[in-house]
Amino acid sequence: MAGANADTYVVIAAFNEGKVIRGVVGEVAAAGYSVIVVDDGSRDDTATAARIAGVTVIRHPINLGQGASLQTGIDYALRRKAQYIVTFDADGQHSIEDIPDLIAALSHADIALGSRFLGKDAVGVGARRKALLRTATLVSNKLSGLKLTDAHCGLRAFRASIAPQLRITQDRMAHASELLRKIQRSALRVVEVPVTIKYTDHSKQKGQGGFQAIRILFDYFFRPS
Amino acid sequence: MIIRILMLAGLAAIGWLVFLRRNRMPIHIVIVFGLLAAGGWAVLFPEQTDEIANYVGVGRGVDLITYIFEIAALFTLVHYYTKFVELQRQLTDLTREMAILRADVERTPPTPPE
Repeated sequence: MAGANADTYVVIAAFNEGKVIRGVVGEVAAAGYSVIVVDDGSRDDTATAARIAGVTVIRHPINLGQGASLQTGIDYALRRKAQYIVTFDADGQHSIEDIPDLIAALSHADIALGSRFLGKDAVGVGARRKALLRTATLVSNKLSGLKLTDAHCGLRAFRASIAPQLRITQDRMAHASELLRKIQRSALRVVEVPVTIKYTDHSKQKGQGGFQAIRILFDYFFRPS
Repeated sequence: MIIRILMLAGLAAIGWLVFLRRNRMPIHIVIVFGLLAAGGWAVLFPEQTDEIANYVGVGRGVDLITYIFEIAALFTLVHYYTKFVELQRQLTDLTREMAILRADVERTPPTPPE
């Protein structure tokens, strides 16, 4: 399955996503992308469900967190000589139709970040969630010094050559903010690309709430990276 | 006084534990025994700690010991937190390396067309 997209590696970090992972992985693999699933020590059958022909499944023997999982996938993609690396959520809220737009944006940028608030619709997002995301974006922009419309979208694409500059050391959820700070410090060219997020009951349940935000801030400030 | 006996017994117990752990470096043992001796001295002659306290500008010896203890406790906390973060980082690196190696071993070849 060495299609035109084969040097684009889609990294999917999954934790207890046995119910939906197969559908997500199947869709991405069918589009011809190289898929790396990092099963972060799930207690369900995520790893088995993700095992589709041609898809690489990496299993953390213990749960480390989303940031660590993404970095594991990125490391693996680098060893396989990836040209572009995409991070994609396992819960089915991202659409593969957005990946070509992100990759296209890399012709004039080093990293392309998906944004929920840049034109395209966020399907099924509630007012409360929207407010939380806006607040998170505000705080994140203050911390990173970047001006973004959506700071915590899991859908991103970047050139493999800049991956070493973006090395994630925040194992858990603070990696999103860590990434932005590293982008800002390294003066990489960043663009935002409008993407569609499909909020399903499943993805909402897996999403981060207000309480987790406090923990994320704690990690950000007290786990120096 | 019962309290003095209890305190000295506690210090002696710590000394004994340190003595048992012979894998420590000699310098560590010397430092620990020095601290234990200072503790024993403070238990036996508490009035002398008042003199030292007065000399450095603290009213009572008890207060001085409390201050020193607080600094030492904070230092220990920071020291172990730093170590903890470092250990966690090593654990992540190790887990990652292991997971990648295992994935390479298990890598299923693409199913051939039938």
